[in-house]
Amino acid sequence: MSMNIFGAEATEEKAENARLSSFVGALAIGDLVKSTLGPKGMNKILQSASSGDINVTNDGATILKAIQLDNAAAKILVNISKVQDDEVGDGTTSVCVLSAELLREAEKLIAQKIHPQTIVEGYRIASAAALRALEKTAVDNSADPARFRQDLVNIARTTLSSKVLSQDKEYFANLAVDAVLRLKGSTDLEHIQIIKKVGGKLTDSYLDEGFILDKSIGVNCPKRLENVKILIANTSMDTDKIKVFGARVKVDSTGKLAELERAEREKMKSKVDAIASHGINCFVNRQLIYNYPESLLSEKGILTIEHADFEGVERLSLVTGGEIASTFDRPDLVKLGRCDLIEEIMIGEDKLIKFSGVAAGEACTVVLRGSTTQMIDEAERSLHDALSVLSQTVKETRTVLGGGCAEMLMSCAVEEEARKVTGKKAIAAEGFGRALRQIPIILADNAGYDSSELVSRLRAAHYEGRSDAGLDMNEGKIGSMKELGVTESYKLKRQVVTSATEAAEMIIRVDDILRATPRRREAV
Amino acid sequence: MASVAAPASSAAAPLLSGSNKAFNDKGKPMEVRLSNMVAAKAISDAVRTSLGPRGMDKMIQTPKGELIITNDGATILKSIQALHPAAKMLVDLSAAQDVEAGDGTTSVVVLAGSLLGAAEKMLAKGMHPTIIAESFLKASQKAVEYLTEVSMPIDIRDNSALLRAATTSLNSKIVSQYSSTLAPIAVNAVTRLVTPTSSNVDLRDIRIVKKVGGTIEDTELADGVVLNQNVIVSHGGPTRIEKAKIGIVQFQLSAPKPDMDNTVIINDYRQMDKVLKEGRQYLLNICKKIKAAKCNVLLIQKSILRDAVDDTSLTFLKKLGILVVKDVERDEIDFLSKSLGCKPVADIEAFTEDKLGYADLVEESSNSGVKVVRVTGVKNPGRTVSILATGSNSLVLEECERSLHDALCVVRCLVKKRALIAGGGAPEIHVSRLLSQYAQSLKGMEAYCFQAYADALEVIPTTLAENAGLNPIAIVTELRNKHALGERYAGINVRKGLISNILEEDVVQPLLVSTSAVELSTETVCLLLKIDDYVQAR
Repeated sequence: MSMNIFGAEATEEKAENARLSSFVGALAIGDLVKSTLGPKGMNKILQSASSGDINVTNDGATILKAIQLDNAAAKILVNISKVQDDEVGDGTTSVCVLSAELLREAEKLIAQKIHPQTIVEGYRIASAAALRALEKTAVDNSADPARFRQDLVNIARTTLSSKVLSQDKEYFANLAVDAVLRLKGSTDLEHIQIIKKVGGKLTDSYLDEGFILDKSIGVNCPKRLENVKILIANTSMDTDKIKVFGARVKVDSTGKLAELERAEREKMKSKVDAIASHGINCFVNRQLIYNYPESLLSEKGILTIEHADFEGVERLSLVTGGEIASTFDRPDLVKLGRCDLIEEIMIGEDKLIKFSGVAAGEACTVVLRGSTTQMIDEAERSLHDALSVLSQTVKETRTVLGGGCAEMLMSCAVEEEARKVTGKKAIAAEGFGRALRQIPIILADNAGYDSSELVSRLRAAHYEGRSDAGLDMNEGKIGSMKELGVTESYKLKRQVVTSATEAAEMIIRVDDILRATPRRREAV
Repeated sequence: MASVAAPASSAAAPLLSGSNKAFNDKGKPMEVRLSNMVAAKAISDAVRTSLGPRGMDKMIQTPKGELIITNDGATILKSIQALHPAAKMLVDLSAAQDVEAGDGTTSVVVLAGSLLGAAEKMLAKGMHPTIIAESFLKASQKAVEYLTEVSMPIDIRDNSALLRAATTSLNSKIVSQYSSTLAPIAVNAVTRLVTPTSSNVDLRDIRIVKKVGGTIEDTELADGVVLNQNVIVSHGGPTRIEKAKIGIVQFQLSAPKPDMDNTVIINDYRQMDKVLKEGRQYLLNICKKIKAAKCNVLLIQKSILRDAVDDTSLTFLKKLGILVVKDVERDEIDFLSKSLGCKPVADIEAFTEDKLGYADLVEESSNSGVKVVRVTGVKNPGRTVSILATGSNSLVLEECERSLHDALCVVRCLVKKRALIAGGGAPEIHVSRLLSQYAQSLKGMEAYCFQAYADALEVIPTTLAENAGLNPIAIVTELRNKHALGERYAGINVRKGLISNILEEDVVQPLLVSTSAVELSTETVCLLLKIDDYVQAR
């Protein structure tokens, strides 16, 4: 007679079954994003089930974040891709694909009756060897500004070539490098604002110094103001109501009502006077500024911008160095924002406000144009990837070669290492080498080239000692990545290998999946 | 060791693909691509018949049961409520063209559909989609080059060139028979706003006031300002004021209402009188202050919290001889204060003479059943224009507005990029011919893609001919022939149904409309081509 050990509806998958289910899940994820890898990768349409909105993307993290999953191993892959996105910003697809390939190898090894722990051991030896090789090949050009800039442009171009911006990668690579160099070493991408406007084509996009706010200047205000002192506020400008529930005024005549109204106006006026006493000539409020205070302010020659949103106010406070104020009794304590010029500009059909010469000199705005919202959204993601990779590279200045070159190099190093290892671990280490080699194979496959031919030639090239050989995706042959300028950030590659290995190890070691009873929902 | 590894991996591959067959289906990407193309072509077919001067109109019933009759591509597509993701992208594409150029919203979608058709044929031949996409983008750059080459630079002060472009745009609309009336209006409206240095025009400074009544022919470019609202006559106030001093007020002329909740407590009947009297006194004070500032035309902003103006104050204002217009929207205030040269006043205390605007005459005139308030002879006019559009019913009027908007955009395009090209399918054939010539100098798949791109461009003249009831094959081949013989400006003369030098027919369009149509549609097609999967997300 069987006893219920677990609660009703809790399930357990054991040994073979558990492994099979985690492998299948992880491989499915790997195969899903595989086709987006590389310069000739494909896009996916994501359609939201709830709102029907569509998204066209080939950013691994975006795709993985969007899909619904019910598989533990698949969720792990999604997580490492997210971590990669947060840490480096790019390589989200690579990490996922490499991890899946490692698992594919592990599945074969397990079929050969090799114990999972042995595989893990072999993988560890191999990944250590791979990382050593990667570090050895990394180049650091940070001492020479001109060459370092060239490195950055190359990295940006490599990143962008796998995205929607590939056609205009030269343009955007320079744009991204300019933006990142403005940051002067800070990795805070908050300073780079991206504004999206439908209309125009991608190359109509441009980088502008300063900050652009997608709002309009209040009625009757000057449309251009120099040497501006900005007070950024989050305060209600209708009336300071007494916020006690049920508070009401009882009067016995209309005259008194009118007096009350007048009193409210006076109160508003004194608030406006308090605001004006800060010696400002621009007032930005997160909330609405109603007609009355608006006209009072404009009479005092203060430019008003209302309803600037949380995001707008926060960014504005960041770039102009002002604090967000909500009380105005102590003008001496409030830090005002500053900028040289505020003016109204037109992008497409819309009027926006531009703040130039802001206190935080590094701040800049990228205005993206494109034919459809999907296009612009994807362009924004691509640009964001490029920017975050670049900002990381400014910190960790070493670079490695792309185009499957680094992977092949690591794969060779792993194979060398495997020869020295005794025992079954060696087979696992070889498997790791094969998994690394899958990356150039997928790159070639996606471009529609003969992958087995190309990759075997690539490997031969590496064994001949041409350590800069990689796949030239435009010509479909082996080329020198150094000459083509296909460069990637060392940090990115290292992160890809380490997280993919970690995730694979974690999944390999699983031999039991327990699912808790789903939480009971109240009867609907 | 290395030599062992390679066969091992290839030997293991079939074994593996067996266990993951469900995820390795190569048929799916093709299926997704084809489904995208079918959807996108369906959209482009839907608007295809509305292209050109002989294009047909569409009647659209909105979910609310309202009717729209239009042949403006952007308007049709906006109301079509596409479900398929690819179809949605084409709708967006047309909207983008609307923003960028304002006209050519149908052409851009038709062109995208045709490019997709060309791509589909090449995919069927087994070409890789990214190669097609990249070649198409290169071809579009080349096409823009050729278009620029064939264009004629114009001087923005040359009204006749602007006029011809506006007329061409209007000729393809429902209101085409009125193009001689509307084209000069559009041209004059924009040229009034243009300064020699300006590279763009904000169309929000041009206000189209729509009034049902009269015919489209009565549409005019108003001298001064035309108001959307009418004068309040219920209390017998004046409807004509000479030497008007205009005030825009954002406060209300009705019983006081503080923002706090309040109750007026009345203990006995004598207090009732007092309340009423004080209420009247309060309003009278306001009205007197308005009069004291010598204001005699009052525009009152709409208020959602309380009546903007009530009967009592209307009576007072009438006695003081002040013309009153109410229900001015908040977003109109900016335009009105700019064009009338006055400042809006938000509080009665701040109502002073210096905030008023001056005009020679404010008059509500009645013309063929349309009552319109005109303000003429404004003393400090801003750079704004009002157009008074009239039409026999709201459907025609709406379409008239859309057409006028397109015409304004066409003129604006010429301000942005000061060059014209021929219409009537001439530039498309020209580019198509040059591109296919260029394709022959290329090698490999690129050559094939360029050729296909060139052929796809012919959809515009083909559709023009089809919609005009001509034989498309005969016309397009003849057109090609003429171009090959060096007649660069030969185009389809839709009115006469033959091929002629289209410049002599004064059919011209801004260069920007054509280049942006080519660029935007290619961009979208490339994005669509690169899609190989369709993921249902949260």
